[in-house]
Amino acid sequence: MANLLWLQGGACSGNTMSFLNAEEPSACDLVTDFGINVLWHPSLGLELGDNVKTLLQDCVSGKIPLDIFVFEGTVVNAPNGTGNWNRFCGRPMKDWVKELSDAAQFVVAIGDCATWGGIPAMAPNPSESVGLQFLKRAAGGSLGTGFKSKAGLPVINIPGCPAHPDWVTQILVAVASGRGGDLSLDEFQRPKTFFTTFTQTGCTRNMHFAYKVSATEFGQRKGCLFYDLGCRGPMTHSPCNRILWNRQSSKTRAGMPCMGCTEPEFPFYDLAPGTVFKTQTVMGVPKDMPLGVDKAGYIKLTGAAKAAAPAWAEKDIFVV
Amino acid sequence: MSVADDDAVRAGIAELLAHGLKTTTEPFPETEKEFGGILNELRALDPKDLKSKLVIGGFVNHPFGEEQYRCMECMYYLVHRKWCDLPELAVPVEPEWWCRLWRI
Repeated sequence: MANLLWLQGGACSGNTMSFLNAEEPSACDLVTDFGINVLWHPSLGLELGDNVKTLLQDCVSGKIPLDIFVFEGTVVNAPNGTGNWNRFCGRPMKDWVKELSDAAQFVVAIGDCATWGGIPAMAPNPSESVGLQFLKRAAGGSLGTGFKSKAGLPVINIPGCPAHPDWVTQILVAVASGRGGDLSLDEFQRPKTFFTTFTQTGCTRNMHFAYKVSATEFGQRKGCLFYDLGCRGPMTHSPCNRILWNRQSSKTRAGMPCMGCTEPEFPFYDLAPGTVFKTQTVMGVPKDMPLGVDKAGYIKLTGAAKAAAPAWAEKDIFVV
Repeated sequence: MSVADDDAVRAGIAELLAHGLKTTTEPFPETEKEFGGILNELRALDPKDLKSKLVIGGFVNHPFGEEQYRCMECMYYLVHRKWCDLPELAVPVEPEWWCRLWRI
């Protein structure tokens, strides 16, 4: 039996909604098949008021062993570093986060806000939001760079806006079943099993990417979304086209450009007008190249790919 | 449009450019805002106003600039149809041409 506690900070509850839609395994499977005891969750917990506070205090003191502490949303520090804009059970949430993280065997940050600040941490960041161990790309965050949970791991970051439900439940099962130590994390503390490949890996529009045929309007059933419509699939680490959403589809399969929501900079360009769903270019060349590709190579490849493109690549071929 | 229609329009554009149609090649839109501004000008046109499209788009009948960019490498160019697929232009073109809405 592994005790799990889930709290929310500066959050929209999107990751909770995602979690409750998990299928492999489902949220119920966690309890019935994998021995996870959900001590409390904002949407599922039965306790109210002082009873929640007592439960949290018991977790901090060790009276109740806390195996997994899950946090969703940013750690809010406003105003002036006090954290009083986000109080919970009689004190700033950031104080609970610190003490519960110190008490837990594993700490898991779910979603962009908890991992690196997400949308609330966009400039000018009035809520002084940070993630648990990052603020965008900068290491540190609320718990500091040196933080390790009792099991010896830093915060396990599962980013996304929201995170895919199965990324969440599969990591929780790994931790609850004693395989947390086997998790291999990347430089941003994301499990490599999910975040080594790209959103583009498995995209049904890869042929159009290869032959440099662009989608020029939403809803087209041909063309790559990278060239004109701002898709970040070639430079975003996520398995969105390997582990499909609702077992059915993904943004790119549905004709929607990837917004890069598993990367620390999300939302890119702070959502400035004209930067969303539009590939940013300098003198006609994309500012952000597919990861590892340089400008000269990109231009050469484009010429070769266009010259080799077959006629069918220009036609509607039902990539949706 | 049929292939023959496309060919006829393409030949017409080639003739206009060969006879010195002065088009707006500068400034090249360096930012998305500038690019969007040109698109807005094109959207305000009657879609059949081919000559204005060519002028605002900055069409030339040869590769352009130090790096000799051309339609052939542009993301909007459809090789087999010899067609500019940018919705605001949507015109038949030659691979050796160029315009200032060129993107790669």
